[in-house]
Amino acid sequence: MRRLSVLVFALVLPIAVVAAGQELRLPDAEGSVKFAVIGDTGEPSAGQIAIAKQMAAWRAKFPFKFVLMMGDNLYGSESPGDYQKKFSGPYKALLDGGVEFHAALGNHDDAAQTQFKPFNMNGQKYYTFKPQDGVRFFALDSNYVDQKQIAWLEKELSASGSGWKIPFFHHPLYSSGKTHGSAELQRSLLEPVFLKYGVNVVFSGHEHFYERIKPQKGVAYFIIGSSSKLRRGDLNKSELTVYGNDQTYAFMLVEIVNDELFFQTINDKGETIDAGSIRRAGDRPVAPTNTTTQPVVPQSKPSPVQPGPERK
Amino acid sequence: MRVHYLAYLAAGLRWLAIAVLISACSTPKATERVAATSTATDVAIEQSKQKTSTDPAVNPNAAALAEFKKRVDAYADLHQDLAKGDAKPHETADPAKIDVTKNTLASKVQSARASAQPGDIFTPGVQPVFRQLLAPELKGEDGRDTKAVLKDDAPAPGTVPFKVNAKFPENQPRPTVPSNLLLSLPPLPKPLEYRIVGRHLLILDTSADLVVDYMLNAIPA
Repeated sequence: MRRLSVLVFALVLPIAVVAAGQELRLPDAEGSVKFAVIGDTGEPSAGQIAIAKQMAAWRAKFPFKFVLMMGDNLYGSESPGDYQKKFSGPYKALLDGGVEFHAALGNHDDAAQTQFKPFNMNGQKYYTFKPQDGVRFFALDSNYVDQKQIAWLEKELSASGSGWKIPFFHHPLYSSGKTHGSAELQRSLLEPVFLKYGVNVVFSGHEHFYERIKPQKGVAYFIIGSSSKLRRGDLNKSELTVYGNDQTYAFMLVEIVNDELFFQTINDKGETIDAGSIRRAGDRPVAPTNTTTQPVVPQSKPSPVQPGPERK
Repeated sequence: MRVHYLAYLAAGLRWLAIAVLISACSTPKATERVAATSTATDVAIEQSKQKTSTDPAVNPNAAALAEFKKRVDAYADLHQDLAKGDAKPHETADPAKIDVTKNTLASKVQSARASAQPGDIFTPGVQPVFRQLLAPELKGEDGRDTKAVLKDDAPAPGTVPFKVNAKFPENQPRPTVPSNLLLSLPPLPKPLEYRIVGRHLLILDTSADLVVDYMLNAIPA
């Protein structure tokens, strides 16, 4: 009898633990903005298929309406067959379910992708869209940050009228990656504009891992570049890192409820590897010379998820 | 006398109202005051405009850059003329159509520019100006960072053809152009973009994926 109890306990406990990791940690509030974020997805790998399946499965719990793509949407050749093999096939369940994708271009992407309707780029390498009042996204082309793009960004940010201003693009302005690291040249031009107009949160890819960066000058940064490619051991956790994971493929679920943005990062097994929230504190723009205050994002709550053992 | 007094009072109030209105319109809100403050980006763009200006009053290289601008604008006009009908990029869910449009456009450009030669745009007169514009960004510690970006995700050596009208290889990464270098160079009209491969500077037609012109050894060793 005792042996049976031990056996039952041994079988049930792992299931309970797994189930705990697979709980939705977002409010799933009515009328909120719900979306997913993936990055560097253009590699037709087992990891990509697993992530796509998890996204479809999680959508049953959390009905996100659109997906942000961080670039490198198609690695290597970009023939019609590649669009099918590297995008339309893996994400078929989401596309069939009416989920919209909004892509940014990475350094592996041909500009012709801007013409691909399912990427919703309207033929533009940088563009903006507003899923609902109060939230506006800005897809940037971080491969080519020139005068024209900066002028466009300033104009769009100043006229956005949205409390949540969320740029997304390929190269991370802050990163603890060994291979690439922070895109400092882009940062020197984009960050002052973000601060001037009160950008709240930024999503990027390029690095093939997940990293949540400590808010920088009041702006929260996420790197999610491991949705089809993974560079194990490439994350060199630093003072920038709040949480990072270079051991599993990942995607993010995000929900904006009024002034709070909730996030949950999930791996290819459907386990939550990071979660938390960010509160926005009004529209007060930050004086560009002031580098110490954090009026836009005063806090980034610690992850309620055990981040797992430190990588040796 | 009393009527006069009331008339003066009414006129005074009218002027006061106008003054208040003008004052309300001209006083910027707090956000506008902050937005009006110059950022490091504003300064960088202002410097860029000056360095690449085609106005001889502010830039000693104006004449060479004006000639360069004339040539890239002529290319952009040609591109616009050719990008019509079945060569006009348009949104579609069918990637095969994207491919056909791009290839049709590329063929049209190649035919129209069959006699184009290296140096047609990067003329011998403008090449020293480009080297002069790029050089300061490639010196010292900052220059090392810039060169590191150029090497990051660069196309495999030997894969990009330095040949006018050649196709940029489809399966190679499009090298990211460091933004400090972009701000040092004259802006290009759509759909042209600079690319740096190794030490060489290219102008790429991003719609047709064609090399428009190139300049060897633009980056100092």
